[in-house]
Amino acid sequence: MTYIQIGPRSQPVRVQDEIGSFSPEVEAEIDRHLAKYPVMRSAILPLMFIVQRERGYLDPPGVAYLAKRLQLRITDIWEVATFYSMLHTEPIGKYHIQVCRTLSCKILGSDKITGYCADRLGIKPGETTADGRFTLSEVECLGSCGTAPMFQINFDYHENLTPQKIDQILASLP
Amino acid sequence: MFIGAIGCEPLQLARVHLENSRKLEVYKKHGGYEALARVLKSLTPDDVINEVKKSALRGRGGAGFPTGMKWSFVPKDSPKPKYVVCNADESEPGTFKDRYLMERDPHLLIEGMLIAAYALGSHIGYIYTRGEYRYLIDIMDEAIAEARAAGLLGKNVMGSAFTCEIYTHTGAGAYICGEETALLSSLEGMRGHPRMKPPFPAVSGLYGCPTVVNNVETLTAVPDIIKIGGEAYQQLGTEKSGGTKLWSVSGHVNRPGVYELPMGYDDMEKFIMEDCQGISEGKQLKAVIPGGSSVYIMSAEDIIGKDVRMDYEGLVNAGSMVGSGGFIVMDETVDVFESTKNLTEFYKHESCGWCTPCREGTDWLVKIFKRIEKGGGRPDDAKLLLDLCDNIEGKSFCPLGDAAAWPIQSAIKRFPEDFRRRLVSNSNGHSS
Amino acid sequence: MSTESIKITLNNKDYHVPKGARLIDVCREQGFDIPSFCYYADLALQASCRMCLVRIEKMPKLQTSCTIICTDGMVVTTKSEEIEKAQRAMLEFLLANHPLDCPVCDRGGECELQEMAFDWGGLEERFTETKNYHPEKYLSPMIANDPQRCILCKRCTRVCDEWMGEDAIEAGGRGANTVIGTYGGWLDCSQCGNCIEVCPTGTLLDGTYRHQARPWELAQTISTCTYCSDGCQMSLGSRGGELMRIVARDRYVNGINGEFLCVKGRFGHPFVNHEERLRTPLIRYKKGGKLLPATWDEAIRHVARNLDTLAEKYDRNSIGVIGSPRLTNEALYTLHKFATELVGTDNYAANDAFSLSPFLENLGAPFATHHDIRHARTILLLGGEPEELQPLTGKQIRQAVRNGGASLLIVNSVPIRLIEQATQFVHIRAETLDAAVLALADAGSTETASRVMGVQDGELQALRELIELTEGDLIVMFGGELSPAAQAVVAQLPHTFGSSTRRVLLHPLPLFNNSIGAHDMGLMGGAMTASQMLSEAGKTIHGIYIAGSFFQETLSASEAALGKLDFLVVQELFETETTRFADVVLPAASFAEIDGTFTNNAGQVQRVRQSIPPVNQAKSDWMITAQLARELGVDFGFELSASAVFSEIAERVQAYAGLRYPLLKDESKPVQVKRAIVTERDLSAELNTLRNAVAAMPETHEKLWETPKVGHELFKIGTLTDKVPQFHLLAAGNPRPETVNISPLYQITVDASLRREAIGESV
Ligand SMILES: Cc1cc2nc3c(=O)[nH]c(=O)nc-3n(C[C@H](O)[C@H](O)[C@H](O)COP(=O)(O)O)c2cc1C
Ligand code: SF4
Ligand code: FES
Repeated sequence: MTYIQIGPRSQPVRVQDEIGSFSPEVEAEIDRHLAKYPVMRSAILPLMFIVQRERGYLDPPGVAYLAKRLQLRITDIWEVATFYSMLHTEPIGKYHIQVCRTLSCKILGSDKITGYCADRLGIKPGETTADGRFTLSEVECLGSCGTAPMFQINFDYHENLTPQKIDQILASLP
Repeated sequence: MFIGAIGCEPLQLARVHLENSRKLEVYKKHGGYEALARVLKSLTPDDVINEVKKSALRGRGGAGFPTGMKWSFVPKDSPKPKYVVCNADESEPGTFKDRYLMERDPHLLIEGMLIAAYALGSHIGYIYTRGEYRYLIDIMDEAIAEARAAGLLGKNVMGSAFTCEIYTHTGAGAYICGEETALLSSLEGMRGHPRMKPPFPAVSGLYGCPTVVNNVETLTAVPDIIKIGGEAYQQLGTEKSGGTKLWSVSGHVNRPGVYELPMGYDDMEKFIMEDCQGISEGKQLKAVIPGGSSVYIMSAEDIIGKDVRMDYEGLVNAGSMVGSGGFIVMDETVDVFESTKNLTEFYKHESCGWCTPCREGTDWLVKIFKRIEKGGGRPDDAKLLLDLCDNIEGKSFCPLGDAAAWPIQSAIKRFPEDFRRRLVSNSNGHSS
Repeated sequence: MSTESIKITLNNKDYHVPKGARLIDVCREQGFDIPSFCYYADLALQASCRMCLVRIEKMPKLQTSCTIICTDGMVVTTKSEEIEKAQRAMLEFLLANHPLDCPVCDRGGECELQEMAFDWGGLEERFTETKNYHPEKYLSPMIANDPQRCILCKRCTRVCDEWMGEDAIEAGGRGANTVIGTYGGWLDCSQCGNCIEVCPTGTLLDGTYRHQARPWELAQTISTCTYCSDGCQMSLGSRGGELMRIVARDRYVNGINGEFLCVKGRFGHPFVNHEERLRTPLIRYKKGGKLLPATWDEAIRHVARNLDTLAEKYDRNSIGVIGSPRLTNEALYTLHKFATELVGTDNYAANDAFSLSPFLENLGAPFATHHDIRHARTILLLGGEPEELQPLTGKQIRQAVRNGGASLLIVNSVPIRLIEQATQFVHIRAETLDAAVLALADAGSTETASRVMGVQDGELQALRELIELTEGDLIVMFGGELSPAAQAVVAQLPHTFGSSTRRVLLHPLPLFNNSIGAHDMGLMGGAMTASQMLSEAGKTIHGIYIAGSFFQETLSASEAALGKLDFLVVQELFETETTRFADVVLPAASFAEIDGTFTNNAGQVQRVRQSIPPVNQAKSDWMITAQLARELGVDFGFELSASAVFSEIAERVQAYAGLRYPLLKDESKPVQVKRAIVTERDLSAELNTLRNAVAAMPETHEKLWETPKVGHELFKIGTLTDKVPQFHLLAAGNPRPETVNISPLYQITVDASLRREAIGESV
C-alpha cells in the first residue's frame, strides 16, 4: 500500500497502483494545455483526453497522475470523469463505434446501422469484442443530422452510412 | 447536403464554398479582418456595442437574448479580468450550423471574438467546443496559430494597443454544458452543473469574473454588422430580429443542409416544399420541429397554408420557437409517440442530475414510454405524462427540465392519435 | 447582516425583517413551514431539491425560498394549491426510485423524508415502474451506504468539503445515475461520520450500529464528549443499560458543535460496555502476586490502611495523588481536596504534560468560544494541529475562512492541512515557536527570531500587518509547544493587538476533554508533575494514588519505576500497563455512567449526564475518593450527589462562583466561567527569558515539508479507542476489504492481532 501526497491542497491519497508517467513530448503537450488557463483545474478535460489516448482509458495510474499533475484530490478526478460520456473509467475497445441514435438519425434508419454493426461484430451495443478491437455504443446527437445516418469511430465522422459503406470503413481500419 | 443562402445574399455563409476557405489569405482576400481593422482604428468599445444593439442581433444559441444588451451588462469598472467565451457546444438535436461555420470559415469566428473582446475590454477568449467535434478544434487551433503569426492575435493586435489571446477548449460529451453556466463550470474543470442565476455570467462568470457567453453563429455575425453597419444588418431581417439566421435542416426532406435565411422569411411551407425540395420519396409532411429538439413540435396543419414567418415572433405565433434553428422534418411514416420517446430518452441521458424534477422526472418519463412501447399502455398514461411534465416545467433548476417537458406536452396535444392508439386498455395493459 | 430593517408581506401579513435575511429562514421564524432537504444553514447553497418553492409576486415562476434574499416590499405566498402541488410533486419524484424500505432502515423514525411523507399524508403511489437498483455497501469501517435511498441533497459532500476540508465523498455519474461515492468505492478520510449525521435519509449509515436498534427504543441523554478539549455536545443513545450510539442530531441536542462530531466522539464509545471493563475491585495482597477480586468494602479498607501506614513510615509528602485530565471537575476537585486537606501532601498533579498555568495566570482577554471563531475576522494559529487534535476548532476555523471570509495566519513548523485555508503560512523550523511569539510581542527581535526560525524578516512583518488590518475579532490560538514565558507573553498579546475596532480573544489548544478543568480544580498546582513523581518512585515518593493511568510514553521511559513503590492504587476502567503494578485496582465509571461537568478550551463548563447505570461494579471517581476519605475519618459531605460537589466547587473556585447544575441545563447556551482578566503588566522578565532562549536556539532544526496524513493523530490507538475494532482498521491504514457489498446482517469484524499493535495513549 502506498500513500501519495497530491499537491498542497490535498490530503494524502492511498493508491494501489503506481502513478502513470508519460514521454517528454506528451508532458510538453500537457504543459501547453496548462498554459492556457489561469487556474490549473480548467485543464482537466483536455488532460483526461490525453491520458485516455495514451493509456486506452482513465486507468488508476492515469487517474493518480491527473490528481498529482493538477494538484487535486482523487475524488475530484473521479467526479469529473464520471460526469462526461466521452470519458471512460473502464477499459474500452481500440475502435469505439458510436452510432448516433437521436431523432434525425433515428428517422433515417440509425437502428438499422446499429443492428448491422452489431451483426458484423457479433456484439450488442454497450459491448466490446473479445479481442478488444471494437466497442459499439449508441450515442446522442453528434451534430450530423443533415448527413444522417452516421457514426463516429473514435474522433472520425462517417456520414450518410449504408451497409456497403460500413463494410468499407471497417475493412480500412488498421 | 446543401449549404447556402436563400432569399438574401449569403452573409455568414459567404465564403464557405471558396477553395481553401479556412486559410487566412483566402479569408483576407474576401474582406476578412477588415471589420476588426476598422474597429481598432476608429471605433470605441461603446461604438461597437451600440452598433450591435442597432443590429437587433439576438443570441443564436437558443434563448434569443439581444446580444448588444447582454454586452452592455458587463461592468466597465470591474478590476477583474473579463472573458469572452464562445459557445461551440452545439449539442441540441437537429442543430449543426456551428459545425460548418467553424469547419469552413474559422477566421470569421476569430474575428468576431476579437471584436467582442475589444468591445468588452477582455483579453482572453475561450472557444468551448463539444468533445465530439475534435476535428473542429484542430481546425480552430490551426487558424489561431495562423492569426497569431500574422499579428492578429496576441500582443498589439494589428499594431494597435489591443491585446487578446484566444484558446480552444474541449468538452467531453455532455449536452448540459451548452447551457452557459454549466459551460462555465465545465470550463473551470468541474462537473457540468448549471449555476444559480443571478449572478449572471456578465457580472460573475468564469472564475467569478465578468464573462460573456455567445454562440458561434452570434459571434460570426458581428464582423458583418461592423462592415455593413448595425442598421443595415437589422434591415436584412425584421424590426425585432435583425439579420439572417442559419437553419439546420434534417430529416425527411429532399435537400437537407444549412440554410441562411433572412429573419422573417416567408414562409415555412414554401421553405420546406420548394427550398428544401419537398418531402423525400414523395411522402406527405406530418410534423416539423423547427428550432431544435427542445421546442414545441408542429403538425403539418400548423404549417400548410398558415403562412408561418420564420423569425422569433412568427414562430411563437405559430405555436413553437426559433430555438437553435435545428429544423427537423418528419413525414407520414413517423410515429410521433416514438419520436417523442426518442427525445425523452435524450433528455434523460443528458439531465445533469442536479435537481429533483429533471433527474427523477426524465427517468420516470422514459420508463413510462418504454412500458407503453412494450404494449403496457394504460388509458390514463397520457394524463400521467402531462401531469409529470407539468411538475417538471418551471420547477427545475435550469431550462433543461422545461426542454424535456415541452416536446411531450406539444406532442400529446398535437398528435393525440399517436398516443391514444397505444393507450387503449388491452389484456397485457396492466402488467406492471 | 445589517441592522437595517425592511418590510415584506408573507401570506398577507406584513413583517419587518433585517435587510439581507434569507426568505426561507424568515418564513420559518414566522412559523410558516417550508419543506426543504438541500438547504442547510452555513453550507453553500444548492437549490437542487426544489422543495422550498414559494410564489413571489412579479416573478414568473415559483421560486426557491432558499435562494431568495428578502427585498423591501416583497410579497410572498407560501401556501396555495399551486405551491402544494409543486411540493408534493417534488416529494413524489424523490420517492419514485426510493425503495420505501422504512421498516428495515436504521433511519426509520428519524428520517426527514419519511417524516415529510407522513406529515403530508394522502400520497398516491403513481410510480409503478421498476426502480433503479444500486447495491448496499460499506464505504469504510464506520460508514455504510445504501445509495437507493439517496435524494442527492448533497449535504454530505458539502460538509465533507466545507467542514472537514477533505472532499473525500462526492457525487459521481450523471442524471438519474448520479451516486454519492468515492473513487474505487472506499472512503479514505478522517471518518468523522458527519456525512451520516447530516444525511436526511438512511443513505449514509453508522456502520457500527447497523440493525442494532430502532431510534425510538433508545433513551437519548445529552452529554459532553470525553475525548478532546473542544467539548462537543452529543446525544448518547442507550437501551437497557447499553450505550448503542452517539449522535449530534439536532432533534436531540443543540450544542456548540451543531451536528458536528469527529471520529472519536461519534464512534469511539464502544469501550463503555466493553467486555474487558473491570468487574470488581481487585487487590494484590503480596508484591508479585496476582490481583484478586475483592468487595468494595475490603478494597477501600485495604487502601486506607496502607495509606495510613505509608504516612507513618515516611511522611505525608511520600504519597502522590494524580488525576487524569479526562475526569470530571467533580472528580478532580475531590482528588485535590483529598490530597491537600486529607493526606496533606504537596505532591499532586493532573496527568497532563501541557501546563497552561503561566497562560491562565496572565490571561489578558477572555477565551474565544467556538462561535467567536466562526465569526472571527482574523485567526492567528501558533503551532498546534487543531484539525487532528481539536477537530471542532479546526472546522470552525475552516468555515470562518471559507464561509466567513476570515483570514487565517498560521505559524508552524509543519505544513498542517489547515494551511490550505491560510492567508499566510509562516513555515518555521521545529522547536522555534517561542521565537515567533517573541517577535510578535517585540518587533525589535524580528531579525534574530526570523533567523532562528528560518524565515524572511518580511514574513513576520506581513503577519503583523495583516493583524493590524483586522477590524472585528482577532483570535489567537496556540498549541502545546510554548514555553512558560512564551505562554505568558501570548496571554498578554491582547494588550498589544487590541484596539477600539479590534477585539482580541484567546483560545488555547490543550489535549484533553478536561485539561482546563484540571487547572481550575487546582490539580496542576502541585509540587511535582506526574512524570516527576514517577522518577522519584522509591526515592521520595513511596505511594501513588492515581485516577486513570500513566501514559504509555511516560511509563516506558522509566521502565519498572512503578515497581519501586510501596503502594499503588489505580482507579481505572480497564486493566492497563499501570494496573500491572497496582496493589489495588478500583473500577471506575466512564463518562456515560456518571453526572458531572467538563470545562472545554473555550472555558465553558458543560454537563456530563448519566446515560446508563454503572457497568459491573464501577463507581464515579469522585465517589470512590470520597469513600476513601470517609474510611480515613473525614466526611466530605457530598452524600451521593455530584451536584453537591459542584456546589462546593462554585463556593471555592473563584471563576465558578455562583454556578449550579440548573444553570448549566441548556446545552445551547453554554456558560463560560468568569476568569480574572489580568491588566497589562510588565513583561520584561518574560521577554528577557525569551530573548536569551531564542539567542541560544540552534539554526539547525529541520522544517517538516510533508503535510501529515489525515488521521495521523486521530487514529492513534489509546486505551479507549483500543476497545473499538474499527479503530484498529484505521490505524492499520484503512485497507479496502475484498468485498464491500453487504448483506443486511453482515458486520465488519477485525482480526484480533490488529489490536496488539496499539501505539500508546493518545487523545
Ligand atoms: C440545456 C441547454 C442547452 C444549451 N445548449 C446550447 C448549445 O449547445 N449551444 C449554444 O450556443 N447555446 C446553448 N444553450 C444556450 C446557452 O445557455 C446560452 O443562452 C447561449 O450560449 C448564449 O449565447 P447567445 O446569446 O449567443 O445565444 C443551451 C441552453 C440550455 C438551457
Ligand atoms: S433541470 Fe436540473 S437536473 Fe436537469 S439539467 Fe438542469 S439542473 Fe440539471
Ligand atoms: S431547500 Fe431550496 S431547493 Fe432545496
